[in-house]
Amino acid sequence: MLGEDQQLSEMHLSDEELLLAADGELVTGRTAQVQAHLAACWDCRARMAEIESTIAEFVRAHRRTLDPQLPPIEGPRAQLRAELAQLSSQRETGSWRGWCQLPAARAAAVVLLICCLAVGAGWFFGPPHKLRESFYEAWHDGWSGASSGNLASEQGAIPNRSLTPGATRSVSIGEVCSMAHEEVVGEVSTSLRQEVFREYGIRNPRADDYEIDYLIAPGLGGTEDIRNLWPEPYQSRTWNAHVKDALEERLHEMVCAGNLDLSAAQRDIAVDWIAAYKKYFHTAEPLSVRSDLMQPDLMRRAQR
Amino acid sequence: MPPMDSTNELTFSSADAALSAKPSEIEREVLGLFEQYRNPLLRYGLSFGISAHDAEEVVQEVFLSLFRHLQLRRSRKNLRGWIFRVTHNLALKQRHANQKSLNRMAADGAVAEEQFDPSPNAEEQLSSEQGRKRLLAVVQALPETDQDCLRLRAEGLRYREIAEVLGISLGAVSISLTRSLARLMRAEGR
Repeated sequence: MLGEDQQLSEMHLSDEELLLAADGELVTGRTAQVQAHLAACWDCRARMAEIESTIAEFVRAHRRTLDPQLPPIEGPRAQLRAELAQLSSQRETGSWRGWCQLPAARAAAVVLLICCLAVGAGWFFGPPHKLRESFYEAWHDGWSGASSGNLASEQGAIPNRSLTPGATRSVSIGEVCSMAHEEVVGEVSTSLRQEVFREYGIRNPRADDYEIDYLIAPGLGGTEDIRNLWPEPYQSRTWNAHVKDALEERLHEMVCAGNLDLSAAQRDIAVDWIAAYKKYFHTAEPLSVRSDLMQPDLMRRAQR
Repeated sequence: MPPMDSTNELTFSSADAALSAKPSEIEREVLGLFEQYRNPLLRYGLSFGISAHDAEEVVQEVFLSLFRHLQLRRSRKNLRGWIFRVTHNLALKQRHANQKSLNRMAADGAVAEEQFDPSPNAEEQLSSEQGRKRLLAVVQALPETDQDCLRLRAEGLRYREIAEVLGISLGAVSISLTRSLARLMRAEGR
């Protein structure tokens, strides 16, 4: 009479058991019996080899079919890094995380309370950009005005905050960073430009005096909205439109490289772009503008 | 770019690094997992017949969800299974949204036409390509759960993880894989 163990080890193994063995998924106690059988049985070893060979064929076909479709990882990695940084900063300001942790009933109660307060303040039914505008105004209100230093000599370099508080749209990092150059630069329509001049009381502006500039550039999520546009002096000033253009490009690059939160870039440029320039270029004065950047084809939004 | 000389360039680069907020521990962990699993997840996403762009979006969403999951101090048990399960669900949702064909054959077949690995021996190349197409055709004719089991296993998931991703039992994973391999072996004349 054969013992039970011996009987088990002499019976041929099923495909399922062979696969479990190959995958290291056999239940404890069975492994040794299967190994003993495989050591003794050429049939089962041959079948095992066929299974392994089929697995290898499948994995090869799977990879060769799909791997050529995989884009390089660098772009998606940068995008994820930037999105995570943004989420982290939101968390630090106590926004979404607190919401996520609220039980549904409490969250609903808070939403209701906020809606009531907003309606009471005549706030809720304003234009869609009103909330964001108020937000920028709050930034401006918190700004002492002394941060830029020599403001007296730079009249006009900083927009009138009541006329130009800044306006943005909801935009993802991926969208901002994949914008075509034309979209980043942004062209302001003639009628809107005239409206901005009227708003600032500038009559018959000279061709080379002003650029109608975005306070928050489109490449940073700014919108073509009169609240985000102002006549920025072009010539004969230290802090002119060319200098701000350089700042916008720098902030765009930093945001897309994942080195700066988009909302921080928007806030800094809206509150005081001169202070932002000093902060991000680490200089008290604008760097001299290279002659090639002054060529008309590279000039950004030069308005005549 | 603003004008700058080489000295300024260096100054700015190091200043940028100082300016940028240091990633939190969770951010680093999520980015580490992204490095490790982005390609396997993309392959898995693509196997649902969605475009590479859609699959990339799905994977981004998965890791943002993972970040929130970890921030909320939710379970860290079997994170790999969790990541694949979320990918599975989002890819299914994306496929549904796209209203694309449920037949994965079309997507894979098109790729099989395009991707032709250059080889010095034309006959071997042809034979290899035919074998690959035949194998993929067999896979694509399998029930969807069997296909998913095979692909998840090919990406290195253990049976327990596959069971969790697909919401089936451990035994069902084993039977599914055995059945699929038997069909593949028959197709190869084994």
